[in-house]
Amino acid sequence: MLAVAHLNVWYGVTEILRDVSFDVPDGRIVALLGGNGSGKTTILNTLTGLVKPRAGSVLLAGEECAGLRADQIVRKGMVQVPQGREVFQSMSVVENLEMGAATRRDRAELRAGIEDMMGLFPTLARKSRQRAGSLSGGEQQMLAIARALMARPRCLLMDEPSAGLSPVVVDTMIDAILALHRRGLTILLVEQNVGVAAAAADSAHVLQNGEIAFSGPAASLLDNPEVLRSYLGR
Amino acid sequence: MLGYLVLSGITTGALYALVALGVVIVFKATGTVNFAHGDLFMIGGFLAFTFHVLMGLPYLVALALAVAAGFGIGILTDRIAFRPLMRANLVSLVLATVGFSFILKGIARSVWGGKADLFAFPPLISPDPIFLGPLIIIPQQLVAIGGAALVMGAFAAFFRLTRIGKMMQATADNPKAATLVGIRTDRVYMYAFGVGAAVAASAAVLMAPLTLLYPDIGFVLFIKGFAAAVLGGLSSLPGAVVGGLVVGVVEALAGGYINSSFLEVSAFVVIMVVLVLRPTGLFGATAVRRV
Ligand SMILES: Nc1ncnc2c1ncn2[C@@H]1O[C@H](COP(=O)(O)OP(=O)(O)O)[C@@H](O)[C@H]1O
Ligand SMILES: [Mg+2]
Repeated sequence: MLAVAHLNVWYGVTEILRDVSFDVPDGRIVALLGGNGSGKTTILNTLTGLVKPRAGSVLLAGEECAGLRADQIVRKGMVQVPQGREVFQSMSVVENLEMGAATRRDRAELRAGIEDMMGLFPTLARKSRQRAGSLSGGEQQMLAIARALMARPRCLLMDEPSAGLSPVVVDTMIDAILALHRRGLTILLVEQNVGVAAAAADSAHVLQNGEIAFSGPAASLLDNPEVLRSYLGR
Repeated sequence: MLGYLVLSGITTGALYALVALGVVIVFKATGTVNFAHGDLFMIGGFLAFTFHVLMGLPYLVALALAVAAGFGIGILTDRIAFRPLMRANLVSLVLATVGFSFILKGIARSVWGGKADLFAFPPLISPDPIFLGPLIIIPQQLVAIGGAALVMGAFAAFFRLTRIGKMMQATADNPKAATLVGIRTDRVYMYAFGVGAAVAASAAVLMAPLTLLYPDIGFVLFIKGFAAAVLGGLSSLPGAVVGGLVVGVVEALAGGYINSSFLEVSAFVVIMVVLVLRPTGLFGATAVRRV
């Protein structure tokens, strides 16, 4: 589904990503791990058009996305759930969902999409008229995911969805991610929490200083003391 | 006397509110104050003058044309003075809008007349005042207040109900998230300038029959609208409306009871008092730090 090859990104005079290549196969969950500042968010921002790569290619189902505008990439079916949720605080839950469908025109489809999200996230259904800024952290995270799904992506990119959530809410989050997986969605899951990655993902890549330093099955992350110690500082 | 001053204050205040709405919508979307906003008002007034007085078109047709042209010139402001500098610092952006303001003023002077020329816009309805007990009402004032209320209603409906209105709200709320859901924020900025200018043009057309038009009226109106916007917190639409009414009434009372020269400076006084006593304005959540 997603094939990233030889990605090279600079911020001014600093090289942030060096020759990053990885694949996310159709219908799979692939985790991307790495310490603070290793370049995880920069990868997602490059994939979704916020940052232009200096070199490399991003193929989504065979179509080149590198260098396209953010809205064009959304239309092609790749959507990011940003770090820190970034919901539209002043707007209601339903309005946030409507904005998620900004690239889609069909009104009936919009209504069906909102119904679908209310079914998937019952908490949001109970608070549909509430301002997004008044929701709890976990609810805002659910809303950010639901908003991204409103664009009907084929490939969903999530940036640290478990950050700042209590363990119980993190479990709900993992359940939600697995539910999306069962629907056939392809997911790239950026995490700092190795436990979440191991529980949800099929395979994993570990990023260090803008380079991929380890790739393997996600289950092996927790058994591999080397990975834990040297790449994640545990 | 008091009743008359308050009524005329509310009339001009309602029109200042419309000017302030344009300042606020551009500020909310782009984080910039458009110093050419008053000149967009002025051009709107002169276009209506051309359509209605010089070409003899009906008032409502002239209004519609001026509003449409205002929208177009607002979009031009975005293209000329904002978009090329979007990533530049705030000072360059503000200077660009100041420069654009001079260009619009220059165009108005060469097309419609020099600095000292004043243009009268005929009243829509009978200019005879109505005496309501002690209150003297000029019918055109009621037209202006009613018209301003209609424009405000349309403006509120636009934001709450239309897709593009909601996209503008989303972009003002969180530009990064707006980009990520696929909203073209550059287009949103363009529409913000366009809608702001269209509202300013409608204010000019409503105000023209009450005052005289002259090419330098833009700056005067900008200061009133800016004072109203600052009073309302610079990013609150209801704040802009209340701010406009307050500036209008304060100005009318100061002019009537203190000295008519206070009419011109009272807007400056309002800006200074607000910035000193309550930098967030009456409705604002964020401090006015970017100006
Ligand atoms: N806008 C920016 N300008 C310059 N450097 C940046 C910018 N954003 C991030 N960086 C730098 O890029 C590196 C990678 O950051 P990021 O992708 O956010 O890492 P992560 O998400 O893995 O924590 C860091 O060293 C960070 O300081
Ligand atoms: Mg990050």
